[in-house]
Amino acid sequence: MPLEAFKTSQALSLGVELELQLVSRSDFDLTAASPDMFELLRRKPFPGVVTPEITESMIEIATDVHTDYSTLRAQLLEIRDTLIHAGDRLNIGICGGGTHPFQQWSERRIFKKPRFAEVSALYGYLTKQFTIFGQHIHVGCSSADEALFLLHALNRYVPHFIALSASSPFVQGSDTLFNSARLNSVFAFPLSGRAPFLLNWEDFAQQYFAKMELTGVVKSMKDFYWDIRPKPEYGTIELRVCDTPLTVESAAALACYLQALCKYLLERNEPAPAEDDYLVYNYNRFQACRFGLDGTTVHPKSYEQVPLREDILNTIRLIQPHADTLGCSSALEHIYRIAHEGSDASYLRHEFTQRGNVEGMVDSALQRFRHQYIGQN
Amino acid sequence: MFDFQTLLTEMAWPLTILIAWFMGEYGYRLVKLPRISTYAIVGFALASSQAGVLPQAQSTAMLLLVNIAFGLILFECGYRINLRWLRTNPWLAASSLTEAFLTFAAVYFLASWFEQSTPTALLLAALSMATSPATIVRVINEQRSSGQVTERILHLSAMNSVLAVFVFKVIVGLVVFRTSGNLWEATYSSLIVLFASVVLGTTVGILVPALLRITQRTSHDGTLAFTIAIICLVTLAHSLKLSPVLAALTFGLIARHRRVALNTSQRGFGALGDLLSILLFVFIAATLEWRQVVSGIGFGLMLIAVRQIAKMVGISLFAYISGTSWRKGVLIGMATAPMSAFVILVLEQTRSLGINLVDQLAPLAAAAITLEILGPILIQRALIWAREVPESKES
Repeated sequence: MPLEAFKTSQALSLGVELELQLVSRSDFDLTAASPDMFELLRRKPFPGVVTPEITESMIEIATDVHTDYSTLRAQLLEIRDTLIHAGDRLNIGICGGGTHPFQQWSERRIFKKPRFAEVSALYGYLTKQFTIFGQHIHVGCSSADEALFLLHALNRYVPHFIALSASSPFVQGSDTLFNSARLNSVFAFPLSGRAPFLLNWEDFAQQYFAKMELTGVVKSMKDFYWDIRPKPEYGTIELRVCDTPLTVESAAALACYLQALCKYLLERNEPAPAEDDYLVYNYNRFQACRFGLDGTTVHPKSYEQVPLREDILNTIRLIQPHADTLGCSSALEHIYRIAHEGSDASYLRHEFTQRGNVEGMVDSALQRFRHQYIGQN
Repeated sequence: MFDFQTLLTEMAWPLTILIAWFMGEYGYRLVKLPRISTYAIVGFALASSQAGVLPQAQSTAMLLLVNIAFGLILFECGYRINLRWLRTNPWLAASSLTEAFLTFAAVYFLASWFEQSTPTALLLAALSMATSPATIVRVINEQRSSGQVTERILHLSAMNSVLAVFVFKVIVGLVVFRTSGNLWEATYSSLIVLFASVVLGTTVGILVPALLRITQRTSHDGTLAFTIAIICLVTLAHSLKLSPVLAALTFGLIARHRRVALNTSQRGFGALGDLLSILLFVFIAATLEWRQVVSGIGFGLMLIAVRQIAKMVGISLFAYISGTSWRKGVLIGMATAPMSAFVILVLEQTRSLGINLVDQLAPLAAAAITLEILGPILIQRALIWAREVPESKES
């Protein structure tokens, strides 16, 4: 089946997907509770979309299409409240975070759905190890070529999103020393990494996708686990490097940081992207995963080494006017605060030292997610 | 030289445990029979009144050991209870009270219909309310299940057990009062016992986490500390003639709500928990006599049926409104079958009060042995049918 045509959508419109953790309130381990959650959630209209994920201890939510920070944030909060309300009735805890700090992959249960069974048969233990939780941000593009341009123009900013959202310092009970250990799991998949450097949709469809399909390795765009991938059926590009933050407010802010950045890039304020930009890509990505905001980043054009935090603060200044036009300057303020006060990964490490065990760390994540939640009836 | 008879007597318990363990593993591998069902069969078969392998009179040391085994499981049960859940989902509390009340009423009327005396009927009804947490916890751990059926049977069994201990003690108080005319004894054996047991459990529940903090072991293995604490607690409750059931359950509850978490690897207290559970379930079945079981089988089976229906109705009624499906409601009701471990240990303790219900009540013996074998199978099936068991564990 050839690659479908790229449906265009309103430029700079946004959609957010979050993968969330379902946690037992007795031992704080992941718990296979998604079938019970769906049983309860389908009784009432859901504000957005909620879908099962591959293991039964995850749940995925998606917002509608938004152009505006305030409505996006409001919907994410409404989704969160609905989930917490359902979780409370079923004694299930819900939280963000890119990894669960001490779950054992062998304990996970695969959701009963044909595609999941296929994927699980193919990838074996990788599927269960893929019990990681990310935030995906969709940005609407007015044309296919614009989508490819944005996808590559963003290459040097990918580390920003990794470091700002990082919330996966622990895996299988120990500190990995990474801020985002989650991305290491994504890397294990054969079709992960960056998209090939093609800026024209025809070329992408004919020269790349058709050939890949011929090899039998892929069937659809879904088989690629790239950091940023085009999503022709929505007419968007999808940024997939973010860990699920501990709060939905941060998720909304990250989405709008991307929105303002895309507006800035679309106005061709920077030299055009080139294949050679990717020479430093994996190094920068590693720095962001390992050291978070304290990492350094190498500029792909000038090869100048800049602390990542400083690069983010500079970028905020640069895109501030665009954020003002889009009405999302308070999102930038939120990003500014993260850059100053530290990411969720540092918060989680702090909680670990305070509370003395990984269970306490999950408890803090649960509290953080329901921050300022007012019960509903 | 050596006396073969003495050797055989001394080896009775170790050999029985060995046989029970082996048969348990074998039965599980062969037909996925829950291990504790096999332990019950072995215990019953080898009991003094049957094959005569086990000694007739149970020593107090043995009873204490069994109570410690039960205490470990009850602590774990209490540790998994979230009291706040009952507040956020009051329908769950409502369904618990309803099923307990329905069971009490149904069994009382059945017993009266079988022309039992009022005190006997009342005591029987009180004991029937309880779902044995020991059986529930062991099967859940064996199946590694998770979901609403799992969560709810844990909570329901903890609640109806507490309720059963409470009502039972009050009725014992009334019965003892009426027979002996001693008000002090009656009050003591009911409310004060309950209150003191809870206080004891709470005290230990506050002390142990504090001790753990002093030794800075919070990030490590808390299992050893909790095990030692349970041994002390149960022994103390036992010698003070308090309720070890309630004390251990309260200890678990308090420890949980003070948020000192156990690591996942120590669920079920590991090998120690496995060993003691063999002992527990063999012992329970070995207290029962074949002749009694046969003579009480008619009433016993009726009791099981009536109790089961009452529980299933009481729980299913509130299934949908409390946030789960009708189907799961029925399965939860089905899984609340077991009662043996709980009932027999409570009764063994009341022996000392001069009330010998096991001997008086053949039907109870029949119901207990049937449910000790059948109960775990019902829980296992309910969990599998509710799809709460990982595929590798299904048959």
